[in-house]
Amino acid sequence: MARNCFNRFVLASTRPVAMPIAVYPGLALTGAKVCDVVTNPQAQFDAQVALHDRYRTPFVLSAMDLSAEAEAFGCTLHLSETEIPTVTGRLVASLEQAQKLSVPQPGDKRTAVYLETVRRLRRLPEKPLVFGGCIGPFSLAARLVGVSEAMEMTVTEPDLMHLLLEKCTAFLTAYLRAFRQAGADGVVMAEPAAGLLSPRSLSQLSSAYIKSIGTAMADGHFAIILHNCAAKVLHLPAMLETGLHSFHFGAPMDLVAALGKVPADVVVCGNLDPSGVFVQSSPAEITARVMELMKATAARRNFVLSSGCDVPPATPLDNLDAFYLALKIMPAPRR
Amino acid sequence: MQDLKLLHEAVLTGDAKSAKAITEKALAEGVEPLKLVQDYMMPAMSEVGRRFECNEYFVPELLLAARAMKGALELIRPLLTASGAKPTARVALGTVKGDLHDIGKNLVAAMLEGGGYEVIDLGVNVTPEQFVAAVKEKGANIVAMSALLTTTMPAMKTTMEALQSAGVRHQVKVLIGGAPITQKYADDIGADGFSESAAGAVAIAKKVMA
Repeated sequence: MARNCFNRFVLASTRPVAMPIAVYPGLALTGAKVCDVVTNPQAQFDAQVALHDRYRTPFVLSAMDLSAEAEAFGCTLHLSETEIPTVTGRLVASLEQAQKLSVPQPGDKRTAVYLETVRRLRRLPEKPLVFGGCIGPFSLAARLVGVSEAMEMTVTEPDLMHLLLEKCTAFLTAYLRAFRQAGADGVVMAEPAAGLLSPRSLSQLSSAYIKSIGTAMADGHFAIILHNCAAKVLHLPAMLETGLHSFHFGAPMDLVAALGKVPADVVVCGNLDPSGVFVQSSPAEITARVMELMKATAARRNFVLSSGCDVPPATPLDNLDAFYLALKIMPAPRR
Repeated sequence: MQDLKLLHEAVLTGDAKSAKAITEKALAEGVEPLKLVQDYMMPAMSEVGRRFECNEYFVPELLLAARAMKGALELIRPLLTASGAKPTARVALGTVKGDLHDIGKNLVAAMLEGGGYEVIDLGVNVTPEQFVAAVKEKGANIVAMSALLTTTMPAMKTTMEALQSAGVRHQVKVLIGGAPITQKYADDIGADGFSESAAGAVAIAKKVMA
């Protein structure tokens, strides 16, 4: 029995399933800008619905923006018309600052944009599965202290990192509850910075905290799809310690090996390179890459074809067309 | 005379305090500065790179080792400069204009310094003009550019054009890297080298300078 709605849908599907993490390419259809998507729920809704209408996707997503939660904590951002916001500087540089740091509320700053986008997506008449997007606890803590600095602090300042992780986990648990209240069927939780750690550190500084979030959210329906675009096969056992059942990987992951290591009811998604394949390849090359990956994964029922990370705004629609078209001609997944 | 293998060990294990203390003591005892770099620090960083490549070390261990070497190098560099010793090459390194991500750049800086290169870290959001100035004013032999975003990749091409317009393109080798970068893109913009990994950047730098 699958433990969440996403896995139930995937495992019951009679056709290969695809879920690229794609919202921003919809801007080519709506004419809005990236800065609109990350600040205006209607612009974000429109971009996602434009893609949903074009490809008849069974899932809709809110945009991936790994700065919104850090901004809610008080981080400053670099904003531009064409780029997803980036966290600048360090909010926390000492244990004392970490102790004083307040945990924000879901809906603070631009987290309200993502909750409202999900609320609107929930009202789509076709009733697709709706997934919010959020950051993972270690990646959020790393943004608060600086990503490079966080790497060193995992060794030199473990107490500070664990204190921040507790605060990030408290916020994310509340944020996921708010997503559920807004109508989300789950979230795609992006935890890329944890993929830069050793498996042991990933276990202690990421999986342990995600497990606590997963336990708090477990209701038999709500899905947490854990995305880690830096993880390799050697990280997989530590990631499975989260107790989650849905994983999304980037280019460094050997998907065939990963599929061979996870139980049949665990869903694995991935991993066409967002830039090298989606942006820089031709439609013919995309078709070839989709077929190659589907053949390599032997149309496993618990495999979902996807991008390895967020599909960039600059992705030509012809390439997304080729991606979905190639999927249509693939054989049914193995039973 | 202390055991200098401990300097190798201190860099390898990212023990900055010990690396600095051993270096200070060794210099006071009259050990040649270049010997400390070439016989102990560089081999230690080479071993760090090897362990990183084969998944024995990860990003934290690599950055800590680089910090340990950097602290020791700060004591040694003035002595090397005074003695007229030259670095393998001087690299002007930065994340391109519009891009504020620094971890890839920091990893490459760590590996290049460990490989005996002098790294001029220009930071993030580096304009084409700043790269040109680093070549003209600081004598960089290599320009190394990093980008994490597809939206900022074009700044690499703009920088190539700026180097050309300033008449310094022939003086430098240009290396590029970052998550969205491919060999095809490097070829398209006329870069001299591309590496998929930080550890690979040293080999590419060596190759283009040969």
